[in-house]
Amino acid sequence: MKTKFTQILKQRYYLLFFFSLLVQQTYAQQQITISGKVASVTGEPIPFANVVIKNTKNGAVTDFDGRYKITAASNQTLIFSSQGYKTIEIAINNATTIDASLPEDATKLDEIVVVGYGSQQKKDLTGAVSLVKAEEIQKRQVTTVADGLQGLVTGVKVRGGGRPGQEANIEIRGLKNLQSTNPLYVIDGLVTSANRDFNPNDIETIQVLKDASAAAIYGSRAANGVIIITTKKGKKGPLKVEASAKSSFTSMPRYDLMGTEEFAKFNNQAYDNAGAPRQNLNMAVDTDWQDVVFQNGMINDYNVSVSGGGDNSSFFMSGNYFGNKGTVVGTDFDRISFRVNSSGSKGIFSIGENIAISNSKTDEMSGNPIIDVYRLTPTIPVYDAANPGGYGYGKQGVADTFGTNPLALADFANTINENFRIRGNIWSELKFTPWLKYRFNFGYETSFDSYNFMRKLGNWTLNQPPEKSFINQNKGRSETLLYENTLTFKKAFGKHDFTVLVGQTFQKDNYNQIYGTKRNLLVNSGTGKYYDVLDLGDSPEVGGFRNEAALTSYLGRLEYNYDNRYLINAVIRRDGSSRFSDDNKWGNFPSVSAGWRINNESFFKSEFIKDLKLRASYGELGSGNIGNYEYKSFINTFGTVVLGNGQGLYPAATQVRLSNAQLRWEKLKQTNFGLDLGVLNNDLRFTADYFVARTEDVLFGFPILLTTGNDGGNPISNAATVENKGLELELAYSKKINDFSFNASVNFTKVNNKLVSLGNGQNQNIQDNTITRAGNAVGMWYVLQTDGLFQNQAEINNYKNADGKVIMPNAQPGDIRFKDVNGDGQITNEDKDIVGSPWPEFEMGLNAGAEYKGFDFSMNWIASHGATVYNGFRSVVDRFDDNSNYRRGIQPWTPENPNTDFPRIVKGTTLNSRGDTDRFLESGDFIRLKYIGLGYNIPDSVLKSAGISRARLTLSAQNVITISKYKGLDPEFSNPNIFQRGVDNGAFPNLQTYSFGVEFSF
Amino acid sequence: MKKIIVLIAIFSGLFFTSSCENELDLDNPNALTVDQYWKTESDAQAGVNSIYAMFYKDGLWARWIYFRLDLTSDEGFSNSPWTELADWTRFNYINYNFWEGQVVTWRDTYKAVFRCNQVLANVPNITFQNEDDKKKIIAQAKFFRALHYYYAAILWENIPIVLTPSTPADLPEQKNVTEVFAQVEKDLNEAFADLPSSWPADQTGRPDKGAAKAFLAKVYMQQHKWTDAKTALEYLISGPGARYNLVANYRDNFTDVNENNKESVFEIQFGDQKNGGTDEGQSAAVSSNRAQFFAPRGIGWSDGQARFWLVNAFKQEKNKDGNLDTRLRYTLYYPQLQADFGDKVYGKNWEWGNDEAWFRKGSRDYYRNNEDYFSQVNYRLVRYADILLRYAEVLNELGNTQDAYQYVDLVRARVNMNTLAVAHPEIGNDHDKFLERLKTERVLELAGESVRWEDLKRWGDLNTQASVDKIALRDPDFKNFVVGKNQRLPIPQIEVENNPNLKQHDEY
Repeated sequence: MKTKFTQILKQRYYLLFFFSLLVQQTYAQQQITISGKVASVTGEPIPFANVVIKNTKNGAVTDFDGRYKITAASNQTLIFSSQGYKTIEIAINNATTIDASLPEDATKLDEIVVVGYGSQQKKDLTGAVSLVKAEEIQKRQVTTVADGLQGLVTGVKVRGGGRPGQEANIEIRGLKNLQSTNPLYVIDGLVTSANRDFNPNDIETIQVLKDASAAAIYGSRAANGVIIITTKKGKKGPLKVEASAKSSFTSMPRYDLMGTEEFAKFNNQAYDNAGAPRQNLNMAVDTDWQDVVFQNGMINDYNVSVSGGGDNSSFFMSGNYFGNKGTVVGTDFDRISFRVNSSGSKGIFSIGENIAISNSKTDEMSGNPIIDVYRLTPTIPVYDAANPGGYGYGKQGVADTFGTNPLALADFANTINENFRIRGNIWSELKFTPWLKYRFNFGYETSFDSYNFMRKLGNWTLNQPPEKSFINQNKGRSETLLYENTLTFKKAFGKHDFTVLVGQTFQKDNYNQIYGTKRNLLVNSGTGKYYDVLDLGDSPEVGGFRNEAALTSYLGRLEYNYDNRYLINAVIRRDGSSRFSDDNKWGNFPSVSAGWRINNESFFKSEFIKDLKLRASYGELGSGNIGNYEYKSFINTFGTVVLGNGQGLYPAATQVRLSNAQLRWEKLKQTNFGLDLGVLNNDLRFTADYFVARTEDVLFGFPILLTTGNDGGNPISNAATVENKGLELELAYSKKINDFSFNASVNFTKVNNKLVSLGNGQNQNIQDNTITRAGNAVGMWYVLQTDGLFQNQAEINNYKNADGKVIMPNAQPGDIRFKDVNGDGQITNEDKDIVGSPWPEFEMGLNAGAEYKGFDFSMNWIASHGATVYNGFRSVVDRFDDNSNYRRGIQPWTPENPNTDFPRIVKGTTLNSRGDTDRFLESGDFIRLKYIGLGYNIPDSVLKSAGISRARLTLSAQNVITISKYKGLDPEFSNPNIFQRGVDNGAFPNLQTYSFGVEFSF
Repeated sequence: MKKIIVLIAIFSGLFFTSSCENELDLDNPNALTVDQYWKTESDAQAGVNSIYAMFYKDGLWARWIYFRLDLTSDEGFSNSPWTELADWTRFNYINYNFWEGQVVTWRDTYKAVFRCNQVLANVPNITFQNEDDKKKIIAQAKFFRALHYYYAAILWENIPIVLTPSTPADLPEQKNVTEVFAQVEKDLNEAFADLPSSWPADQTGRPDKGAAKAFLAKVYMQQHKWTDAKTALEYLISGPGARYNLVANYRDNFTDVNENNKESVFEIQFGDQKNGGTDEGQSAAVSSNRAQFFAPRGIGWSDGQARFWLVNAFKQEKNKDGNLDTRLRYTLYYPQLQADFGDKVYGKNWEWGNDEAWFRKGSRDYYRNNEDYFSQVNYRLVRYADILLRYAEVLNELGNTQDAYQYVDLVRARVNMNTLAVAHPEIGNDHDKFLERLKTERVLELAGESVRWEDLKRWGDLNTQASVDKIALRDPDFKNFVVGKNQRLPIPQIEVENNPNLKQHDEY
């Protein structure tokens, strides 16, 4: 009996032991040590990444090299995550070395967006804000930030050109006033401009605030949109060195012009048809002016940055050299810049600074060679010793043209601009409590500009009156001081999350300039060198002036987030400016916006849709881009008169320019509706925005009657109303499958512009070939309309109006038939009519990229449809009333060649030669491959021995494919005149650019 | 906690130091405002001086008005490679908004009127030590307002009259040419009362009583008010203002060696001290560009030339010594200039066409071989020879042809020509024949001096197709002339479109 019981007991014990063993297995089955490296897909180690054991709170953090060591059971899973990267999980499965490669988080819902005086998470945005990845701009070879933004952001239209030092024009959501479209730039909290002095390599983040609620915090200057840029800051860790070098070749598109033989044939035909004696053309000369003036350009961009930091401080330094030798003879641009950003904190106090110093020098383009190359005929030699100065140009009876010789102009009238700029800010913060923070920001910008113009002896055009040599130099200094105080309160009470901001700012701008001119310069007769110091020469003229402006503002913002489902944002800003009269100095700019995160609602259960948000906003913004003293009338005391037997000078003074005393802020009222949608685990994202922006009291200097005797510029008044409506759509997709990742996005922008009324009792304003009429978009085409050619005299005689009157009795066969729009039987200015719009119906961008192992590829396409543009080139070379070169291969009408649309060529004024007709209007549609590039990351294995942590080679090309019917140089041309945006009158084209670059990190 | 309070206090301090709302009232450090001006005598003086500065602007007597008066008439024409510019001298008006064609002249006319109106509105409120000085300033403003409206009426006829300083939204009403002339007469009569008989030597160039009477004569004669014109002219010839005489050397009226001489009735003062343009900057020029634009090809722009019939007109009659009329030598550059008088063209031999000619009056070839934009040669707008010939015309119109002979003879005698009775006995006392001869006398004496266009209008030679056809024989440009239309310019279209009170001439 005893034995059986003991046996049973023993059995239980074994069972117990067995179970205990089992249990031990479960809790500490087999603890192994796993180590490895966490890096990005491009091989860059990710320090301070989190390595967490799934379903536990245990974890480790990677070190500076991305290496980690963790102890876990072999059947557990490790979760690797880091800010800005997608989180991945890897099961341990007994492995002791696990390396993780984290792909970048393309969706970045948790990304921080800077919104002005603060930041929000992207998912909490209620306004229309677009983020641009800094690399998208930095991968292109650009002079300014604006140049790099084409096609990347809906609602943003950019037009630029390739002249060294040229800055592109940005238009955000249409033309909202009649002064300019320049948006406000804020760099590290300082209101400034991202002009050609700013180094785009320093950009960390860039966001575009498009609607009223996002921009309202900047109130009176934000009507054209705001672009907020933050520059790179150091990160905690050992010194990180990055260097890059990129060289690019640029080439100029060319016109297809005639050579001397073909030119002579047509020139003679034109003179013959006019019954005028032929010119005595110099057939021995055949100059290709484009070869003479255009050359291949070269851009070099070298950048070095050093950064690092500790627990409580960080620093970032960078240096950059950018050199652009232009594609036109006698132009180039150089920039050296240096930046230091640092910050530190102790307890509740933190302080930091961002400062950039740059020096840029531009050899400006003299005159406009883009036009000169076709105005000069191939029979004109480049050099001609018979002319003063030795350059060739027109000669009466031989080559009758007033075209200017571009080499002569670049030699005899050259401008050099040099600019030294310091731009930066110092800030300090006091965190009284975790939920109350005070910040003081002092922004400072100063620029020392030096302008130097020298006129040497010599002529560049026919019949030029002799002019003494002279120099004109000026030195200017501009200064901006910005003082900002803000208090931010941020606290969550249960599901209610509040952020409240109140603040006050004061900005003072001043500019002063002195200038001097001296004539009859000293020349070293041996070397031909001109002395350009103001001590030498005679007939001194000096002058100087000062401009000041001030702006005081009070601002407040409330951000309310309920349970991550309902978002409300309200902003109020009050601005007072010295630019307006006492009664009108102050303006109040409120805005409110709301968002609804539907995907966080309890009733919303969809696995397919990860993110769904509706947004709506309404706000009032101001603008006032006018001169500093526009509302006052001034006496001009410059005049002098000759009197007396001694013919001496006496002073004169009078009012020259009229003004309007009651100038006030323009008021922009903008409404925006938006939708954000994310599906397939946010791999596919869709954003749509619809906006209506109406600006009232638009400031503009409309031409007033000449009978007022006004001169010196039209007086500005608040009179017009402008409206813009638009639709923005963006679709983006990104996916990573093992080693291959891919992203693509398509964006679509449609903006309808309308001038609602001009005010001041006027209903239209005509500038050259454009008309701005109430009810139409600004700058519509207003020209005569052509209707084919007359083939014979019978057609001319039969072209009658309703009353039987022959409309064009003086026409001859081969002449253009014009439409008699008003039916009065003659072709006059009354027959002009609105025939088209320079505004595109829509613009699109397509961006795509892929990465596989060490290779990456990306491309950007842009497209524009619906704009009608005026081809200034054809309006000169197709006219024949003034001598110029002609397009190769034209087939003008002759009795032997009647089947053509090119009219009879005649050297003289006939209606054929009128420029204000639709003959020169063309479709401005185009599709362009803006950027295409290939990169290769040299594998770690090769780099390890050299101590380099990352090396990348890039090969890229810009503007290489253009699909367009436009017969000018570049359908993507830029015309900064807001009324004549569609006129291509010698605009400097965008250049084909081929670049090769290397990047290193240590 | 204490720390926090201290820190809050410090930062609030900063808060207030940097908020300065007074800073928003900024004065322009570069100029006086209109409210701060018109307070002292020197303000008034500088204000009236600025009216004179309008002569230096390109729309008026520095450049483009010569195209409207000299080249459009049958004395001149344009063969400029700038086709539109040339078209506007041959009645080929296609674009009524052509700036250099007429719009700049229109604008500059009203700019001058604005300056006159500023003086007339503001100077009465200034206290002067001597009331006469104030009256003189006001009188000058009225004189110039009349002068500019006179020429504008000659060119466009029915124009708006502006009599007060402008504001941006002004929409002045269009007036008939008779009303414009009436305003001109009124201003001149009021100016005459307060202008001095003569100015001190350091003020030469300002209009005196004689100048006012001369312009009154012009405006009366245009309206065929012969009796009034006779009274006005008599002031200068035999009345209290009779201090003029013809200078011995004809050329002294067209160079800078004898400016403001005894023949000068009203003379625009030009200088070359300033090197700038026709803007309102501190180096704005005080010069004339006429010579640069009218000089022969290769020397100047050659945008304006003289008609060859002028050469033949001069050669019709020899002077008392059997030689050619010396006035031909100083009026024109023409192919036989060197053969006839030994003069080269700016130092060059004749290298142009056999039937080409250019205006020589105002050129500086007596000391240089080229022209530029800074000619200092004064422009004699009215000289005594013109007054004498006008008086003869008026007497003829009033039926006193016999008395008119002596005045024409004075002008002829200066250049050693025979008297009219000796050279042209066929005229006798016939009004029409005398007028025909007088027309030629005016051409010989005053060719290229900007009087021909008003002369043609006054004589009615532009009113009938027959007379226009006769002119076309001398100047083929007149084949384009449409009677009833082209005797006046079209109103600038942009003004018509933006001013509901202004209508375009029907015929345009």
